[in-house]
Amino acid sequence: MPSAIEIKDFSYNYPDGTNALSEITLNIEHGEKVALIGPNGAGKSTLLLAIGGFLQGQGRVLIDGFEVKKQNLKKIRRIIGCCFEDPDDQLFMPTLFDDVAFGPLNMCLEQKEVEKRVIETLNFVGLAEMSHKPPHHLSAGQKRAASIATILAMNPKIMTFDEPDSSLDGRHRNNLIRLLQGLNQTLVIATCNTNFAAVIAQRVVLIDNGKKIADGKSQEILLDSDLMLEHGLEVISKNLI
Amino acid sequence: MHHAYLDKFAYQDSPVHRLDSRVKFISLVVFTIAVLSLPRTSVSILACYAIGPFAVLAVGGIPLRFALKQIMLVSPFIAVLALSCPLYDKTAASAYFGPCAFEISQGWLRCFAILGKFVVTMLALIALVSTTPFSDLLVGLQKLGTPKLLVIQLGLLYRYIFVLIDKVQHMLRARASRKLRNLGYRQELRIASSMVGSILVRSIDTAENINIAMQGRGFDGKWRSLNKLQMHSTDWLFAAIVCCFLLILEFFIKPILI
Repeated sequence: MPSAIEIKDFSYNYPDGTNALSEITLNIEHGEKVALIGPNGAGKSTLLLAIGGFLQGQGRVLIDGFEVKKQNLKKIRRIIGCCFEDPDDQLFMPTLFDDVAFGPLNMCLEQKEVEKRVIETLNFVGLAEMSHKPPHHLSAGQKRAASIATILAMNPKIMTFDEPDSSLDGRHRNNLIRLLQGLNQTLVIATCNTNFAAVIAQRVVLIDNGKKIADGKSQEILLDSDLMLEHGLEVISKNLI
Repeated sequence: MHHAYLDKFAYQDSPVHRLDSRVKFISLVVFTIAVLSLPRTSVSILACYAIGPFAVLAVGGIPLRFALKQIMLVSPFIAVLALSCPLYDKTAASAYFGPCAFEISQGWLRCFAILGKFVVTMLALIALVSTTPFSDLLVGLQKLGTPKLLVIQLGLLYRYIFVLIDKVQHMLRARASRKLRNLGYRQELRIASSMVGSILVRSIDTAENINIAMQGRGFDGKWRSLNKLQMHSTDWLFAAIVCCFLLILEFFIKPILI
């Protein structure tokens, strides 16, 4: 069985020539929950875009055995669901129901199946009562849950999240943690919040200046205070892991 | 969210809210054509036409004050046009309002006709927008054969106009918090143009991110939507009532008042 995500010597430069990622090699197996941590501008979001097939660089990216290239993008987008940093970019339809239905409709599912998936997903994220509301009527936490619902309805094997905990208060962050812990999919979560990474992920990959610095079990990396401080990250309390 | 007033009554429940958006939209178009095609000297008949939108607003539970406020918001554009009429057309004319007859210039007649038609058609438009969620209206437009590209554009416009308003409000607040003195016309203009530029750049960024999010969920250029609309007996009944109302006005009331 192929790995969920396989990245071999992947490098990417922005159009202005700035190096964003340098020779990243990473293997993520099915069912793993991995946190990509690093300071702002480290290259986490760019790596997620490369995994989602939105960037073409040097090296190879394979999703469930399919190489990320134009011919495979349709297959890959059925396998991987990407949740972006700003929910307002993710929720582009006039109502929440339509937004969650957008992906399943593009998978050419039957109308009844689409409706069933939308209702199930909205129930799962606790937004069933909001289904006919426009996204601008939702709170920040509800928008985040709605963003997750939009990709969850497509039933992807792999899900990526870019800073999912940004601009959430404690209550909404706890709801998000419960939601993410309840998912059986392979999760790749980019965050600069080490406390959040500690409770969500079993494995942590540290990225800085576009390079992979460390890769290992959460407790090994997140409790290494020298490493964390050197890369501008918060040191977590031992009780968290 | 600081701007729910734009669509705050569209999510209520009433017999008018439950009607199919296609019936309401077609009724609005026919009603507007009927009002706009009235002779420019016939002002009094407009009061009879206004009964239609008033009835819809009343059944839909939309406060009249809200509707009038919305009309006031867009009235300056029409008011300038209407109030310029008496300036260039001073030909004398007789006007009748029911049994009352009085002398007035053609320009003033035209002015009243423009304002009257504007108020009545705006009332009808507000009645439609306040009793129909925008998403239903878009599906209705699509089913009526409106080009899909236009429907997508309208959907995205409706969704992101609020995001854009929020961004502008945040920028204005940031400017107000640091602007402690009058900067003068030139400096204000420079700041305003830089804010507009910033909003434009951020809009382009947002558009790119939305495109990525759409592609991420399998969008391939074909717009697919759920078929949520179905005609019921109440929709046909509403269509029949609108037809009867317009026919009675056209064949029975209009000959008396004009």
